[in-house]
Amino acid sequence: MGSSKIIRTIAQKLFPFIMLFGFYLISNGHLSPGGGFQGGVVLGTAIILLALSHGIEQTEKIFKSRWLNMLEKLGILTLIFLGFLGIFFGYSFLGNFLPLGRPGQITSGGLMLPFNIAIGIKVAAGVSAIFYALIKYRGEI
Amino acid sequence: MFKEMKKVFFIIIILAMAILFILSADIEYGNPKNLDAANYYIEQGLYDTGAINLVASIYLGYRAYDTLIETIVLFVAVAGVVFCLRGKR
Repeated sequence: MGSSKIIRTIAQKLFPFIMLFGFYLISNGHLSPGGGFQGGVVLGTAIILLALSHGIEQTEKIFKSRWLNMLEKLGILTLIFLGFLGIFFGYSFLGNFLPLGRPGQITSGGLMLPFNIAIGIKVAAGVSAIFYALIKYRGEI
Repeated sequence: MFKEMKKVFFIIIILAMAILFILSADIEYGNPKNLDAANYYIEQGLYDTGAINLVASIYLGYRAYDTLIETIVLFVAVAGVVFCLRGKR
């Protein structure tokens, strides 16, 4: 809570736009530069910005660290589950069983969009979990 | 018994690495004659995976294993950081 009012206000106003940009990078990863890892890091940066400006207690009321840890494991399990679903439908492990759309559409990648979403959620939760651990156990803002 | 097994495994791994090095000494990476895989990705990537972004079509289509293991590496890194920091208190 040591930040000044200007920093807190600007961070609050910037937060939804950073989240929106992260979701755009994730969902358009197979059409334009970007992807799951990059978009996930942008999403994690938004949470880190809130924690830096508003303090860790205020941030933990919204983004609870238990939920973030759970989301991280859920991302990996979703990836592996989708991979085994490929075997179930008669393709190889992690094979693409969804139909390919017209190139340029958002559904053109088939299984790429679920992969990117799972990776993005996992990376965002992981980056913010590292930051939470660093703050909680090794010092305070 | 266990220590000798460890030594034998170590020697086997060193020998395997040396053999790989010797075998790959002849290959010229970046030579235009040996770019079959790259040309295949450039020509067929859009039709095989349906993604305009060629990078995404490689790391989520042709080499999805790589991405899966990369995600697991990040997961292990996060688990290690949290474990090490929590154990101090």
